[in-house]
Amino acid sequence: MPKPIRRLIGLLGLLTIVSMVTFGAMNFLGDPLFNILGPVAADVDNPESLKVIEEAKAQYHLDKSLPERWARWAWDFVRGDFGVQFSSSGQPPVSDLIKERLPRTLELMAVAQIIAVSLAIPWSVLAASRANRRTDKISTITAFAFVSIPSFAMAVILFYFFSVQWDLLPDTYTATDPFWGISHDHRLIQLILPGFTLGIGSAAAYQRLLRTDLITTLQQDFILMAKSKGVSKRRVLYSHALRPSLFSMITLLAINIGFMIGGSLVVEQFFRIPGIGSAVVEATLREDFPVVLAIVMIVSAGFMVFNYLADYLYTLIDPRVRNEDTSKPRKITSMGM
Amino acid sequence: MLHETDSANNILELSDYRVGFRTERGLAKAVDGVSLSLKRGSTLAIVGESGSGKTVLNRGIMGLLGANIIEGGSAKFQGEELVNTNRQKLWGTKMAMIFQDPMTSLNPVMKVGNQVSEPLRLHQGMSRKEARDRTVELFTLVGIPEPAKRFGEYPHQLSGGMRQRVMISIALAIEPDILIADEPTTSLDVTVQKYILDLLVDVQSKSNMSMVIITHDLGVARGRADEIMVMYGGRIMEKAPSETVFQEMKHPYTQALLSSIPRLNDPKHTRLTPIEGFPPDIVDGPQGCKFAARCKYAQDTCLTLAPEETTIDKHTYFCHFPVGTDAGSEALKSNEDKGFTAAGLRIKSKGEVV
Repeated sequence: MPKPIRRLIGLLGLLTIVSMVTFGAMNFLGDPLFNILGPVAADVDNPESLKVIEEAKAQYHLDKSLPERWARWAWDFVRGDFGVQFSSSGQPPVSDLIKERLPRTLELMAVAQIIAVSLAIPWSVLAASRANRRTDKISTITAFAFVSIPSFAMAVILFYFFSVQWDLLPDTYTATDPFWGISHDHRLIQLILPGFTLGIGSAAAYQRLLRTDLITTLQQDFILMAKSKGVSKRRVLYSHALRPSLFSMITLLAINIGFMIGGSLVVEQFFRIPGIGSAVVEATLREDFPVVLAIVMIVSAGFMVFNYLADYLYTLIDPRVRNEDTSKPRKITSMGM
Repeated sequence: MLHETDSANNILELSDYRVGFRTERGLAKAVDGVSLSLKRGSTLAIVGESGSGKTVLNRGIMGLLGANIIEGGSAKFQGEELVNTNRQKLWGTKMAMIFQDPMTSLNPVMKVGNQVSEPLRLHQGMSRKEARDRTVELFTLVGIPEPAKRFGEYPHQLSGGMRQRVMISIALAIEPDILIADEPTTSLDVTVQKYILDLLVDVQSKSNMSMVIITHDLGVARGRADEIMVMYGGRIMEKAPSETVFQEMKHPYTQALLSSIPRLNDPKHTRLTPIEGFPPDIVDGPQGCKFAARCKYAQDTCLTLAPEETTIDKHTYFCHFPVGTDAGSEALKSNEDKGFTAAGLRIKSKGEVV
């Protein structure tokens, strides 16, 4: 079987398992009827209320067995129908909710990753070119500090200085503002502080990996060769050493996308961004099964797709990987999917 | 030195050149006082076993050793003092280097053509197209088949011999005044070795650049170098015009190096003649002659007193009891009679190490 098809089947299988586990786990959370019907749901002694309850159960298929409910949900899901929200109105449908909120989180994550990578690269190059000297030692301490500061603390610190004290960046996020542009009324600028909060820890983590790989690369003979050709120090670092050192960082970057969605919970709450992170928190507290399920499915599918892309990136970086089976570990262990 | 001080004609002049590495145990004297001069357009071969300091000497001259070293003495390149200066302006313009292992010395993620045209574009101001044409020309010159196609390939797609040819084209692209080849053929198989060496000598004589070949194989130096310098423990042991080294070697180390090479006309099952022991400690080295501990000729003097330079004609050596002289024969004979040398090395009567 050709490799892409093998991978696709694996991906679908994994998504199926994820959905089953989530479906089962959600079921233990509690009774969603309360959110659909309100106080009536508790009033089981009243025959009139009981009738309403029975009707609602039938309407939401809550009277069916767990496997049957899963099968119904899965059948709808593959046809693009994510169901209704478990709330009194059931509106808007889950797919509309996702359509509205997902782009905001994707924007936030893109800004955060771009900030993280564009900080990590020059930072690592600087540290690696001065390995074990003072600059490097200070940068190591800084990196550990950034990794250890929790994102809510980081959010407060950044918010206080950049927004309150120096008034450099906007303090509010407005979902209706246009994205592209460089004034306070554009979401690109409004996302800088949240993006920084979300990305700085990743930047530090990337820096640790890239610095180590760069130091290893800089000891290779071809670096000495490049120097002896009269290539400037800067050019040696950026056009000879950087590219073959990117593997571990890309692996972490792909894995990190999954974690960033987790991290965006706090950041979205703090900066009042109505994204997917805040949606999943609200939905979990409400026992809103369809919303949680849809978000979990999107996150895990996204995670798998990005890891697939990372494997493809390896082949762009290193021509030696091009003719090999990229699912086999070479320099690093790839994520497989 | 008789009439060799004609510095205008010398591209490289070292006097008492030293390189030390700072280590936890103290200063490791990798190159310990080397003096030599290299004429424009001539070839010097530096011969010695691993750890004799030949690579450090050359990387030291190039200034490629990094910050953790201490340089001393004097090294003049085209009359300009190099010691303790930044030599970056010479890299890729006046000096070029070929490394031992073409597998690891080419950037694995860069097309070989671009690796050759890089110095052309950086230092000779060529456009992308000009540099490409010149690279293809150089590939043809060094005997790479289908040069235009090879331009776009990566190192892993080429064989070892082809990669070393790419390295040579890089060196040629630079058109250096001096080319340092650090064991250029050690990692290649014998059939390719001869081709690469002859190619180097050929381009060297055509372009009138000076060349330093570093090797542990005296056979590589023979017939290709104008002068051969034998190094041991960071010092010069013997230095002479190429054929003189083979015909009138004066240093026991040179002799030991030569006799350690197996010969084709040796009878079957002949034992190899290794040089017993290991190179000396360079942090806390021997006081006298560096080779004394492994030398069949060693007398008490050798252990305490470093030998002075002796120069006869163009033949320089540092030895108290040189091979082929009366003093040398007497020293060897007395050691053979005793059965061991002053350093305690046990020897058999025919001079064969036990």
